[in-house]
Amino acid sequence: MESKALRVKRHLFAAAVLLLSSAVDLHADAVGELAGFSVFGKADPAQLASGDAKTMRGPAMSSSRFLSVESCWVSPGAPAQVSEALRKWNPAQHPELNILLHGNGSDFSRLPQAPDNGAVRALVSATASKSTSLQISREEAAKLPAGGNTMAGPVAAFWSSLLSARAAAGPFGQPPYDYTGQNVRAGDEIKALLGQQPKIQKQFSGLIGGKGEQYWELTEIESKGVLSLGASYNRSVGNGSFQAADVIYYASGGFYAGVTLYQMWPVDVGGKPSTLVWRGDMTSSAEIGDARGIERLGSESAMMKDVSRAVRLFRRDTSATR
Amino acid sequence: MKFSRAFLLPLCLAATTAFAGTGRDYSTAASSSTAATSDTDTVFPFEFDAEYAYIGKSDVERSYRKVRDFDENYGLVRFIYRPRTAVGYLRLGGAYERFDFGLPEFGFVAGKPPGPLFIGHPQLPETLQSASAVIGLDTKFSDSLLFRIEAQPGLYGSNDLDGDSFNIPVIVGGTYIYSPNLQFIFGVSVDYERKYPVFPGGGIRWRFAPQWVLNAAAPTPRLEFEASKNFTIYAGGDLKGSSFRMADDFGVTRGDARLNHAMLTYSEIRTGGGFEWKITPDIRFSVEGGYLPYREFDYQRADIRYKYDTGAPYGAVALHAAF
Repeated sequence: MESKALRVKRHLFAAAVLLLSSAVDLHADAVGELAGFSVFGKADPAQLASGDAKTMRGPAMSSSRFLSVESCWVSPGAPAQVSEALRKWNPAQHPELNILLHGNGSDFSRLPQAPDNGAVRALVSATASKSTSLQISREEAAKLPAGGNTMAGPVAAFWSSLLSARAAAGPFGQPPYDYTGQNVRAGDEIKALLGQQPKIQKQFSGLIGGKGEQYWELTEIESKGVLSLGASYNRSVGNGSFQAADVIYYASGGFYAGVTLYQMWPVDVGGKPSTLVWRGDMTSSAEIGDARGIERLGSESAMMKDVSRAVRLFRRDTSATR
Repeated sequence: MKFSRAFLLPLCLAATTAFAGTGRDYSTAASSSTAATSDTDTVFPFEFDAEYAYIGKSDVERSYRKVRDFDENYGLVRFIYRPRTAVGYLRLGGAYERFDFGLPEFGFVAGKPPGPLFIGHPQLPETLQSASAVIGLDTKFSDSLLFRIEAQPGLYGSNDLDGDSFNIPVIVGGTYIYSPNLQFIFGVSVDYERKYPVFPGGGIRWRFAPQWVLNAAAPTPRLEFEASKNFTIYAGGDLKGSSFRMADDFGVTRGDARLNHAMLTYSEIRTGGGFEWKITPDIRFSVEGGYLPYREFDYQRADIRYKYDTGAPYGAVALHAAF
């Protein structure tokens, strides 16, 4: 007859094996799914948890103006927590990310609070001079103000009106950027970015729809101010996993459109609940389309560096709170 | 979440000046197939350059010896096939470069004044030309460090190109991407036959204002103003030259046997301004003009050197296509 102590030991061992095997299953499911649609054929959550995020150039796309970067890392906490942290994280607090203004929703009343720096002056100057570098439609261009020296008065009013109308139209109802001479529609670019990566499109099917959680930003790109509109989406996809998307569907310059996707799986690292995060950044830009050879390598590297920097800052800001 | 997109910062590294470097990717977990494929809609990626310049009449001198009033026609054509591979962009192609000098038939004053004067052929070649292959690689060591290595094996000679004029100049260099607005460029040019076989170089590319870029890197340091998306005005310099093998009898008719089969390092510096017009995203056309303030013909091993005496105005046109 087994002693009570022996029975307890056996139960404990069985529980440990069960826990271990479920953790291994958790890893295997997450890593297998990651390999199924991303450029990361293999991933070791334990290694990722202790190091920097892995970042790689994304799959080949047929249009030269498209570029994609994928990254993965492990964050402490369950996917629900990481998803919420992503939703709440405000990158504008980091000057190195060149975000001059960030606002939630469709309230553009803070536009006149834009700093009076070279980048904003460049945007104001382009607006006042009716520059064809502005990514707006011909109809919108007809309303460009005749003058203005600062992001206030008629210049701010013009942009506030334009952004309000475009925010109301949503990601897939955008007018073209035809004032630039290019009949590009951001919605079409977003569809094409996703359409050229069928595995990713399938993985995130149904996530991006409607207007999402809207926001706007004033950023600095190549020393020029750029106003953009974005929408965020997220959902739970079962087994404790979450997905999120960040779609930039309007930009006054610099790039046409961009999509950032996240997949978050629960993993166990060192006995602690953690989240394996995959992030995919895709962008469409005329400037990238013009880059050839080493210039394109440079563009890819700049994008990878920026994604890495943003991920590093996010991990630093949020790791202490969970 | 709202991860910003401040990173969409395409670099405009001047392809001719950006030396770059390669290596490790974040590839421990990478499926190699994705990293090894081309990623543009161009089936046959290539670059093509054509350039022509005319430099007005100027003089060079070697002590009391002078060669006066000769002009120059310069031409360059270069074709490079540029497929993307797992390790970066290969650069495979060829180039032909030619300097034609309108030398006077008898413009050479020899003899130490006030001694006897001799009139003879100038001790300069009428033509310097090179026909070379281009074999190189653009790749990267990290997200911050791009790298280029390029060899240009070919014939570098004067009027006639033959096997004796074979040479293999090599450039190796890198670009450190500090930020999308600031890059540091460094490199070295290696040419065993040149006066200085190893010639280091470097510079910066700095976008210091929305429309202004300081592209201070050899061989074409420039200050650029982007007047519009497709039109850039610039001012700066252009360093041209290479080493060339003279013919076996080159010195016979020029009064100095040391010039037979001699190596000549030719260099010229142009300073001026111009504009570049982006006709389409793939084709750029530029026109520039300015002044040639420096020129040197240096038969370094023969210790015979002709240096700039007076400069001349010049005009140049160039076409660059990249698909």
